[in-house]
Amino acid sequence: MMPALITHAEFSKEFYLFLCPILFTIGAIGLMIRKNMIVMLMCIELMLNSVNLLLVSFGNFFGQGDAHIFVFFIVVVAAAEATVGLSIILMAFRNLRSIDVDMFKKLNN
Amino acid sequence: MEAIVIIFISALISLFLGILKKPTLVMVVSIAGLAIGAIVQNYEWYFLNEKYQLLDFNDSNIQFLNLAVTLTGIIILSGYKHFMDEPATIGDFSALMLFSLSGGLCLIGFKDLFMFFLGLEILSIPLYVLAGSKKKSASSSEAALKYFYLGSFATALLLFGIALVYGTVGTFNIEKIGFISMLFTDQLPSMFFVGVLFMLAAMLFKVGAFPFHFWVADVYQGSPSVFMTYMSSVVKLIGIYAFYRLFGMMFPGVETFWTTLIVIAIFVSMFIGNLSALNQDTFKRLMAFSSITNGAYALMTVLTYKSGSDALLVYMVGYGFSVVALMTINMLVNDNDDKLSSLAGIGYKNPLIGVVGIVALLSVAGIPPMTGFFGKAMVFYQAFEENMWLVSFALLNSAIGVYIYLKITMTLMKKDDNAAVISLNWSQQLVLSISLLALLFGWTILYF
Repeated sequence: MMPALITHAEFSKEFYLFLCPILFTIGAIGLMIRKNMIVMLMCIELMLNSVNLLLVSFGNFFGQGDAHIFVFFIVVVAAAEATVGLSIILMAFRNLRSIDVDMFKKLNN
Repeated sequence: MEAIVIIFISALISLFLGILKKPTLVMVVSIAGLAIGAIVQNYEWYFLNEKYQLLDFNDSNIQFLNLAVTLTGIIILSGYKHFMDEPATIGDFSALMLFSLSGGLCLIGFKDLFMFFLGLEILSIPLYVLAGSKKKSASSSEAALKYFYLGSFATALLLFGIALVYGTVGTFNIEKIGFISMLFTDQLPSMFFVGVLFMLAAMLFKVGAFPFHFWVADVYQGSPSVFMTYMSSVVKLIGIYAFYRLFGMMFPGVETFWTTLIVIAIFVSMFIGNLSALNQDTFKRLMAFSSITNGAYALMTVLTYKSGSDALLVYMVGYGFSVVALMTINMLVNDNDDKLSSLAGIGYKNPLIGVVGIVALLSVAGIPPMTGFFGKAMVFYQAFEENMWLVSFALLNSAIGVYIYLKITMTLMKKDDNAAVISLNWSQQLVLSISLLALLFGWTILYF
């Protein structure tokens, strides 16, 4: 069923209203249960991109350009965030020789 | 608008001046940039009164802008010694603080969700770097990691909320959304409320209130003291003011929905902050829990949007300058081991530190002649009409707070002849004197 749907150009708004929260939830759950920092970064990107998809589909629905411009800003910010995130991961790796988040438990009560 | 541009340019200049390894020059440039930016902005507000589509620095916004700029300048001054220790990176540190502040100014003056989102991100991303700026220390990189992951998660939540709200109302303009939520309160679909919930969660995260307060203590403890001061004064001030404007302007029609949730958040975070602060033995962690409690008090102004922002302004003058003064004293005494006990007798042997420390602690505890008292009194007085029992619990919490802060005062002023005599350089004397004046006479800001 799904491949036939995707080749078809017209989607209903409801399709995206179901797809985007599912993608967002996958990202959020991944961020919570995965221990590898790189995978967690990918999960954050997934969450941001699901929001992009939702915004684009809403903008299409309303026939406005606002949402499309907002998506450009989100892409730029996501790129900046990925840069900072990767450099922080690199720094953490230099200190502890690991990219497992469970290794970082020094600050605690 | 001009302030953002000028501060950004001065940040760029100080970034490249950092190559010369002359800390004094970099600091002069960044502080001059801050001063010129604020002066030009005030001039424009007072004489030209120009209007922009996405940004708006009107009466109350310009006051918060001035406060944020002043606090940042003082924090850069108070970090002079820290910066001197690492002359190679001074340019990066002060530039990142100014980049972050220019994002914060977007967040103070936003009229549109575009500007709100961009401001929040420009404010946050340099902070992730600053939190981890002690490159060799494992705890600093842990703080940066925690701040980065949780902050990005909050950003994603905020964006999802913005997308859902946009999907309902079809505009990003704050005033239009407020208008629609007032007019069509009964016809709003549940998607709108889910969006409001997501945005609320993200904002509670950014200001560090329950149920998203857990990162505050770890991040504040791990970050270098200068940037911890910046986070707990300027960022908190900007975050709460943005929260106040966002929810007050955007969702006045659906007030009953989100005020209940904010009341719960305030109630629990007051108790969490205070009860955790009771048995802390490190100073930065104590200040982190204190910032949770004080953030919760300040959040009460979100409930009373109609009464204006004066109470929040005076409260934040008191709290911000107290944090700066206390953290400056902490940086003087113990920068690395950060124990409360090593403060013992410092105020007794060094009169200036003693006086400023007592005034700052009394102000943050809310004892009458200080600015902190006036701020707290105004916030509580406004909120009393809205929600009586919340204010009574807040008063109970203030009483616990008085115990916590007076205990530190006792430690600071202990009669201990072996305590170190600390020589202050000019920048530290300047910071302490400005904080003292602001804490004693800061409430006069209302008459300007």
